[in-house]
Amino acid sequence: MQSIAAAKRSPDAFLLDQLRAYGPVIGMLAVLLIFAVLKPSFLSAANIGNVLHQSVILIIMSFGLAVVMAMRGVDLSIAQIADGAGLLAAVLMLHREPLWIVILVPIAFGLIAGLINGLLTAYAGIPAIISTLGMMFVIRSGELLMTNGAEPQILFTLPRGLTRDFLFIGQGSIGPVSALVVLGIVVFVLMMIVTNLTTFARRARAVGGNSRAAYLAGVNVRAVFAGGFVLAGLLSSIAGVALVARTSIAVPRGAEPYLLDAFAAVYLGTLLSRRAEITIWGTLLGGLFITFLGNGLTLLGLGAPHRYALNGGFILLAMAVGALKRNQ
Amino acid sequence: MVSPETLSAPAVQPAVECRSIRKSFPGVVALDDVSLSIAQGEIHALLGQNGAGKSTLVKILTGVYQADAGQIFIDGKEVRLRDVREAEAKGIAIVHQDQQLIAQFDVVSNALLGNEIVRMGGLLDRKTMRLRVQEALDRVQAEFSPNALVRDLSVAQRAQVAIAAALLRNPTALILDEPTASLSDKEAEHLFEIIRSLRAQGVTIIYISHYLDEVLGLVDRISVLRDGRLVATTPAAGVSRGDIVKMIVGREVSQLYPKEEVPIGSPLLEVRGLAQGSALRGVDLTVRRGEILGIAGLVGAGRSELALTLMGALKRDAGTVSIDGRPSNPSDPRVANEQGFALIPEDRRQEGLIADLPVRENLTLSNIARWATFGLLNPRLEAGAARELVDRLAIQPPSIKTLARNLSGGNQQKVVVGRWLTGDSRVFLFDEPTTGVDVGSKIEIYRQMVELARSGAAVIFISSDFEEISAMCDRTVVMRRGRINKVIDDQAQATPEALLYWASGSAAPETAEAAATQAARSPMQAVLDTMFSRWSTIAGMLLTVAVIATLAPQFVGLGNIFDVLKQGSVLAFIALGLTVVLIAGGFDMSAGAASQFAANVAAGTLIGGFGSAAAIGLGGSLGLLIGVINAGLILFLRIPAFVATLGMMFVIMGATLLYNGGQALTLSDAPGFFFLGQGYVGPVPFVFILLVAFTFVLHVILKETRLGLRMYAVGQNAAAAALRGVGLKQYAFASCALGGLVLGLAGVFLASYSYGASALATGIDFLISALAATFLGSTISRAGELNVIGTVVAAIFLASLSNGLILIGVSSQALPGIQGIVLVLSISLGLVRKRSIGQILIF
Repeated sequence: MQSIAAAKRSPDAFLLDQLRAYGPVIGMLAVLLIFAVLKPSFLSAANIGNVLHQSVILIIMSFGLAVVMAMRGVDLSIAQIADGAGLLAAVLMLHREPLWIVILVPIAFGLIAGLINGLLTAYAGIPAIISTLGMMFVIRSGELLMTNGAEPQILFTLPRGLTRDFLFIGQGSIGPVSALVVLGIVVFVLMMIVTNLTTFARRARAVGGNSRAAYLAGVNVRAVFAGGFVLAGLLSSIAGVALVARTSIAVPRGAEPYLLDAFAAVYLGTLLSRRAEITIWGTLLGGLFITFLGNGLTLLGLGAPHRYALNGGFILLAMAVGALKRNQ
Repeated sequence: MVSPETLSAPAVQPAVECRSIRKSFPGVVALDDVSLSIAQGEIHALLGQNGAGKSTLVKILTGVYQADAGQIFIDGKEVRLRDVREAEAKGIAIVHQDQQLIAQFDVVSNALLGNEIVRMGGLLDRKTMRLRVQEALDRVQAEFSPNALVRDLSVAQRAQVAIAAALLRNPTALILDEPTASLSDKEAEHLFEIIRSLRAQGVTIIYISHYLDEVLGLVDRISVLRDGRLVATTPAAGVSRGDIVKMIVGREVSQLYPKEEVPIGSPLLEVRGLAQGSALRGVDLTVRRGEILGIAGLVGAGRSELALTLMGALKRDAGTVSIDGRPSNPSDPRVANEQGFALIPEDRRQEGLIADLPVRENLTLSNIARWATFGLLNPRLEAGAARELVDRLAIQPPSIKTLARNLSGGNQQKVVVGRWLTGDSRVFLFDEPTTGVDVGSKIEIYRQMVELARSGAAVIFISSDFEEISAMCDRTVVMRRGRINKVIDDQAQATPEALLYWASGSAAPETAEAAATQAARSPMQAVLDTMFSRWSTIAGMLLTVAVIATLAPQFVGLGNIFDVLKQGSVLAFIALGLTVVLIAGGFDMSAGAASQFAANVAAGTLIGGFGSAAAIGLGGSLGLLIGVINAGLILFLRIPAFVATLGMMFVIMGATLLYNGGQALTLSDAPGFFFLGQGYVGPVPFVFILLVAFTFVLHVILKETRLGLRMYAVGQNAAAAALRGVGLKQYAFASCALGGLVLGLAGVFLASYSYGASALATGIDFLISALAATFLGSTISRAGELNVIGTVVAAIFLASLSNGLILIGVSSQALPGIQGIVLVLSISLGLVRKRSIGQILIF
């Protein structure tokens, strides 16, 4: 029935279709173009390299949120998990623990936090907004207690030799490419595989599409849903460790603003898919756009307020456009 | 009212009359020239198979559909019924099979929702309402109090509430749609008494049921529909069940069935004494390899429950099942699948398909691990398997990429069947596989059953289309009210007439009556649960306070208590606003940010020299405006509440920072304004007095007015509210706007309390405290619903907790975490019994 209608569509409708499909991309490019016109330095190779370098942390975090949201969950604790993981890494570093501990302990922390989120949400049935909001505040308290009231953990104070390997993650480069970008590419490729070529991916899509049908078809709905939160916890902790390696400093609550950016990245990402779905590709591009946007605003001398307002506006815009796409 | 003498013969003027009603849908004539007259004061049964046109006729009478041609007369006047409200106003009331009631409401509110009795100013006249409802309950011989919560009532009692609610509208005719489908025999018998007494009171009743023997004992006249035409209208006296069955079925076998004889082997599935709640009361079955066993039964017979219990999707109460000699008691469908069960669910769209996924993913979902090593898929093999299935099942269009939602009904069903063909399933449960499927696809599905049987599987074919059961099965059992009513081993005897005969009546001697008593236990249990969760919260709070007081005696000093009240009041205001929004508006992420913004604007107004009144006015209006925008996003752009308010939260945070330029707006020398948040009247903080006053006003609005009642109704069960003509939009809007106003004023008090506004845009910090207070407060109410008094009590408790912990020596840095834990715990209190996964609406 639909296919017949599609075949008969007039050229006008075709154009409208194309506009629906590519309009958001064109819109995003137009925004970036405005920055480029206002500030030519926006498009300089150095600036672009810098933005790519910066964007990796947001993008890794957003991937986790995307996986959870594709199953109709939500994780408000991702930024706080990243924050806590980064802080743990810095504290361990300052205690002069070996590199593998400095990296693996925070990641284990992320996995555990994600697991608790998953248990509360998938097994105890607490709405994801509530359980992850609770987790966010528990971690925040933990951070404040650990750092004696938000004292920054500064890695500059350590001898260079001790921190070199750790800081390489965030500041080093492999050939012409920064190590962080390499990490980002590796995570992206892995996530493409995880969300496309695994049994988890198929089951997660079924849970997101119709959890009752998935349950009756023999999918372990609770385990799959919880798995999304574990993955989000893992990715957030990786992002958190990378963030500290990039900035050499961990301030409690320093990573919190990433929560907003991650939401904006995921929702903007849905605009780039034909049926307004959450995809890893879309999230990647959404994350890049958000970072470029922040950078452009900074170059124009506009700060956090504009970023907040624009990001919030973009979320609403993405939803409104998405509703149009789905209802056509 | 009609005098008893006129009852015996049809009255001169019919209560309801249909003349030459015709209605067609694309490709189907649902009603063809149906003329029917319902006499005043009679019970008139409307009978017919599924698809005979009964429900279409009912929908035309209740204004859901409009007839293509024909006239309807009510009380002799021709009427046009354009929608549900109009049909109701003209005197047609209907009690649906699944009574849509609001579980958390009491009987009075449920019965009069949409027709509330109000005094001046929209205040509910509870006393009159109660009296009226009590009268109606007396008419249906209810033995429960009108103050009982509907969720504590049994299914049969809910049916009484629904009928009482319909009677309150003084209908010319009352339609009862399958009222006994989910009742036990005893409960059904009681309902018949009630219906008879209603007839004695002069109520005209149109009675729809599949259960013919009840109909014969109850009704005055019978009208039978078949294939969209009226077969006959006849007095019930002197008609036998057999006669009616002939009228209902009475057609030649209309199509060919691809039945083939397949060698039948040893028993594969054995079920003994399977019981599940009130739906299954001891079922015995044996199915052999290569056999297609038909299970014939009508709505409410327990057919689907049997399938779901075998799959482990419903928990069994008693009985044993063995598959191939091995005992089976699966905890969920995944385990059942491993043991060899496969289910083709009744509701293809809601339970079978994942409509937004392509055919390929739907086909391979159940056995996806088959094409994977260590969780990593081999897409080529998997796609190949899917393609093979598409060919084998002749799915049209022959592509694995089509979205399941774009397939026709028959092809969708083939996908659901195909899902199980790649595994080792040996017992196939087909639950109504051919409803809404075209003839060609039906034959495909029958062929698949035969194929499965040929391969040695046991097939259970559940259907209420008795013709297909008769034609396709090797053996048939008939279910009725949770039991096997008749086993027909010789399929030649299983004619559609015989199946309908057994499915629609009792006749078989009652054997396992013991199981029926089980259901009686649950209302008492529910009451106990409610008591427990309600008082355990208060007890927990008191205990916590007592422990703190023991550890830190200064905690109970009068000065400290008033300090706590002052600290808690501002938070309580924000929580109040949030509570009001949550009642009907969905969710609000922006609550804290809205208050913070209002605090900034209030502080800015004072700094600008415009005075306290302007500050209060602007702060409140700003909150109201934000609430209205939220409502617009949610209701008109249809953005889910979570996302809409999340976006708004960020927009508001940005706006706040733009407004204050990243600087704290500190107030000094504004004694009049400071009095709001810091003043004392005697020893009592003024802000606390304000809080009590606000809470009282909000409580009256929410609990004692029509507006409030309807806000709760749409928040708790929008579908039920809509059936009573209470639309979602205006009440959700009221919830957002009123809540926004309170949040704005909360911001003003916040500015007064804290000498201005801080520079940070800390929208989410207030949110968690407010959420914790709101949800903790909800556990205090009788029905576990959000309520302002509970919210305020909980907010003050949270403030005491913070204060007490600091007195004990706990670091203030631990407080956010404790609030987070309280939030999670208070939610889990309400979830003790209901354990779905915590998905939310994010699109």
